[in-house]
Amino acid sequence: MDTSTKLNGGLQKQEHLVKLGILTIAAILSFSTRLFSVLRFESVIHEFDPYFNYRTTRFLTEEGFYNFHNWFDERAWYPLGRIIGGTIYPGLMITSGVLYRLMWLVNITIDIRNVCVFLAPFFSSLTTIVTYLLTKEIHSVGAGLVAAAMISIVPGYISRSVAGSYDNEGIAIFCMLLTYYFWIKAVKTGAILWSTMAALAYFYMVSSWGGYVFLINLIPLHVLALMATGRFSHRIYVAYSILYCVGTILSMQISFVGFQPVQSSEHMLALGVFGLCQIHSFVDYIRSKMSKEYFEILFRALVTTVLSIATLVGIILTITGKVSPWTGRFYSLLDPSYAKNHIPIIASVSEHQPTSWSSFYFDLQILVFLFPAGLYFCFSKLSDANIFIILYGITSIYFAGVMVRLMLVLAPVMCILSGITVSHLLTKYIKSVDSPAEKKIDPKKLRKFEQQSGGVKSEVALAFVFVLTFLLISYTFHCTWVTSEAYSSPSIVLSARSHDGGRIIFDDFREAYYWLKMNTPEDARIMSWWDYGYQITAMANRTILVDNNTWNNTHISRVGQAMASTEEKAYEIMRELDVDYVLVIFGGLTGYSSDDINKFLWMVRIGGSTDRGAHIKETDYYAPSGDFRVDKEGSPTLLNCLMYKMCYYRFGQVYTEGGKPPGYDRVRAAEVGNKDFELDVIEEAYTTEHWLVRIYKVKDLRNRGV
Amino acid sequence: MKLTGLALIFATCVISAAAQDTLVLLDNLAIRETHSIFFKSLQERGYKLTYKLADDASLVLSKYGEYLYKNLIIFAPSVEEFGGDLSVEKITEFIDDGGNVLVGGSSVSGDALRELASECGFEMDEEGASVIDHLNYDVSDTGDHTTIVASPSNLIKSKIIIGSDVTAPLLYRGTGLLADRENSLVLQVLTADSTAYSYVPENSIKEYPHAVGRGTLLIAALQARNNARVVFSGSLYFFSDEAFTSGVQNAQGGKSYKQSGNQKVVESLSKWVFGEVGRIRVASVDHHKEGETTPPQSYTITDPVVYTISIEELDHGVWKAFQADDVQLEFVRIDPFVRTTLKKVANGKYVAKFKIPDVYGVYQFKVDYDRVGYTHLYSTTQVSVRPLTHTQYERFIPSAYPYYVSSFSMMLGVFLFSFVFLHYKEEPLKSKGDDKKTQ
Repeated sequence: MDTSTKLNGGLQKQEHLVKLGILTIAAILSFSTRLFSVLRFESVIHEFDPYFNYRTTRFLTEEGFYNFHNWFDERAWYPLGRIIGGTIYPGLMITSGVLYRLMWLVNITIDIRNVCVFLAPFFSSLTTIVTYLLTKEIHSVGAGLVAAAMISIVPGYISRSVAGSYDNEGIAIFCMLLTYYFWIKAVKTGAILWSTMAALAYFYMVSSWGGYVFLINLIPLHVLALMATGRFSHRIYVAYSILYCVGTILSMQISFVGFQPVQSSEHMLALGVFGLCQIHSFVDYIRSKMSKEYFEILFRALVTTVLSIATLVGIILTITGKVSPWTGRFYSLLDPSYAKNHIPIIASVSEHQPTSWSSFYFDLQILVFLFPAGLYFCFSKLSDANIFIILYGITSIYFAGVMVRLMLVLAPVMCILSGITVSHLLTKYIKSVDSPAEKKIDPKKLRKFEQQSGGVKSEVALAFVFVLTFLLISYTFHCTWVTSEAYSSPSIVLSARSHDGGRIIFDDFREAYYWLKMNTPEDARIMSWWDYGYQITAMANRTILVDNNTWNNTHISRVGQAMASTEEKAYEIMRELDVDYVLVIFGGLTGYSSDDINKFLWMVRIGGSTDRGAHIKETDYYAPSGDFRVDKEGSPTLLNCLMYKMCYYRFGQVYTEGGKPPGYDRVRAAEVGNKDFELDVIEEAYTTEHWLVRIYKVKDLRNRGV
Repeated sequence: MKLTGLALIFATCVISAAAQDTLVLLDNLAIRETHSIFFKSLQERGYKLTYKLADDASLVLSKYGEYLYKNLIIFAPSVEEFGGDLSVEKITEFIDDGGNVLVGGSSVSGDALRELASECGFEMDEEGASVIDHLNYDVSDTGDHTTIVASPSNLIKSKIIIGSDVTAPLLYRGTGLLADRENSLVLQVLTADSTAYSYVPENSIKEYPHAVGRGTLLIAALQARNNARVVFSGSLYFFSDEAFTSGVQNAQGGKSYKQSGNQKVVESLSKWVFGEVGRIRVASVDHHKEGETTPPQSYTITDPVVYTISIEELDHGVWKAFQADDVQLEFVRIDPFVRTTLKKVANGKYVAKFKIPDVYGVYQFKVDYDRVGYTHLYSTTQVSVRPLTHTQYERFIPSAYPYYVSSFSMMLGVFLFSFVFLHYKEEPLKSKGDDKKTQ
């Protein structure tokens, strides 16, 4: 007896150690696998939006919270300005601000930029742990460990959380999974504590990402599903009522969210389910007090009145505009073609495009195949928690199919369900592998095992375990390869392979931004396409007209019109907007394909989408043959518009590739059609080393008027 | 204070000395004699004239990047190419750097002047063409009706440029000018009568003349955006002693005047072109919230704001308060949100008080005072107007009191209810149902 407890205790200790070991390794792995870009380039913020987040974080740490909350930014959206405090989710900035302060408190004098760079990897470590906890609640410890290991390297999540990718999604996934974990806990226990924790986690989620809408629809959906399956109980009643009330009140404290939780239709499901919860429990209470016949009558009457009143109220609210109509971004979730047909500015963003099949495999690899099996195992042992994960899986796979960037929401549930699959299968088969050894010890037990595992021979089991191990190893290699090759480029610094295999670094963006910072007046106003707005304000510290926060379509459209017009017309627009410098991105010399000429059709579409740009028609910019080309065949409207001239100014004399005529555009693979022209209203101010960024100065009105 | 005052005086001395350095380019030195009244009047006003032949090989406008002259008079109609360092490009550069130019042409103007004219937004008629007016010519005319009598009513309506009370007609003999319609900076100082046209007098008219009627400009001016001034006359004769002193009478039975109006017009015109009159500047701009004295970092919407601009005018070399009652202020964010006439207070100060609109953004206080003859006064001051901060909203709104009452009564109710719920004992089984109902 004594020895057996000791042995048990020893086993338990070992198990703890193994658990802890696996979790620690997974957490460290998830941090370190995201450091490719830092090692390869430097500790630098990536892409576009992160630059804005970085700038706001810096402001927060320098000026304090209240100044940040009331921040009116006159450097952006000239001359409209932007209320930053009221139009962002501050969770990210506050998180890194707090971390920064804590570090300084313990005398770790870290730079705020480094906090920002390493925040996403840090939070993905936390995500690993939360995933373990969540999966443990849903299935088992083993599944939790496998899921944790999987999520630590899943490319779908890494794509948004590499070091330097300082964006809301980096911490939002952690918040989301944390909320789910507390929610499952609350559902299982029915404790007010857990549901309050869930509400707090939800608040953190709301403060950090607009994707909280998914969460606040998924949880009510879960409750609804539990009601439909007759699993509704006091536990769920308590959990949901607390979560909804506390969570909603808390979420309304974020000024960007404001009154949306009670007004916009995206939140109506949560409100409706909350009401339904009350009615359901009330009905249950009545049922317990009444005879069956009376109850039937009462129930019918109640249902009809409630339904009719609800419809009436809904209609009235929609007509009076209290309930905001479905916003464009949400429509595009339900109907993939909606945005493309109606809102060019939404469709122009590449991450809003529908996901291609290949990218599912690219981002998730074997998880795609393990996922359905996981669903099956969940269905086979249905519980309150399992229903939740099933709903999460099914809804997120739909949303991920609609929009590329929602792959991020899908990745965790893929890991969880695959973790369940792998753990389930391995526990089943690995016992059979060991069976010969166990035979000698306890033949009785073995018989039991054979019944459980369906009598698998040890060779088959061994083969199966090998196959699964091979799959998992290939998954590991795939993930590392994808991370290293596809998701670790900062996009602010580009790299390419030269002919002799060496690495060439194109640091033109920063070169241009520093040029602006050093050589233009402090209050110079710079016009560029909105993609580069955040980078210019963050790095060059100059006023810009439009940026990546695409809140004012008319203003962006005005810039699009300027780019798509002839020099004279563009000059009028630029004078009207007090533009001093114009910045364009041009990839024709280096072969950088996401430059402004390739984005140009979007400028035309967005420019032509408002009243003042009605004269700009997309068809004018196509060649007679119907395609978009920049060579001699191209449409004269295109060949004479401002964007074209700014990109190809002086390009006609440049030899770009051997055996090709001068002025050969390597991206469009064509010799430019309009070569020798002079600029009238602007003059070249700066062109970077590889011609990636070209800056032009807007000339003053002619001194003598001619 | 004294030191700065001294320095200021010294600086103005230097500036005025430099301002009066004038280069006069002539076809031949005889012009110096035939136009002596004009040159003498300039010298009397303090100009230091340097006479050079237009094709002198030693001509230079600037040395080591510094201009040697502030003004340039070109009384060399026939010059085909300037001598020395001088060229049309140099002259336009001189204008772009703030130099003033007075040009007298004639019906035999050379290419150099023609080119210069087109650089300044005018066009001189073909070589040999003169302005002909068969109805308004002087009695002294030799027969081809080219010594025309221009009525003072055809002068530009600006006292600053042409002076006041010019009643006598003006004598003019020379070519006609055409203004570039696109160029909004060109001022039509003197136009011909509606009966005039510009053509070669000896030839019979075979094609439609370039300049006809009032479209024929006799004297044109340009005030560039940097406020350099250029005056172009199609007639050098207009400035001559002969035109100054001779009497004038319209041959078609007009009134006889003892002396033409040329001298008066030329005097004020030369004052204008060399920047003696009509020069105004912004001395200071000040804006602040009402009741404060310094400008805030940014305004808040609906703030009452006071804008003060002080404008000065150059009067005989001294900057003095400028008097006008039509100076307007605009508060602009792409479009003007506020447009108001500034009120004149003492010392050339103009004040406007208004309430900032209820729209946030980056605004500009813009004073754009553009009057014929005066320097173009353009002053913008950029300010940002921010929305209310979270502490600036009204804290206790009367209409919200019902909500306060309801929330506090709710809190009280829940508190009382929990007491009742916890301490009320009956049959223990029912309590759960009650709990649900209260939610």
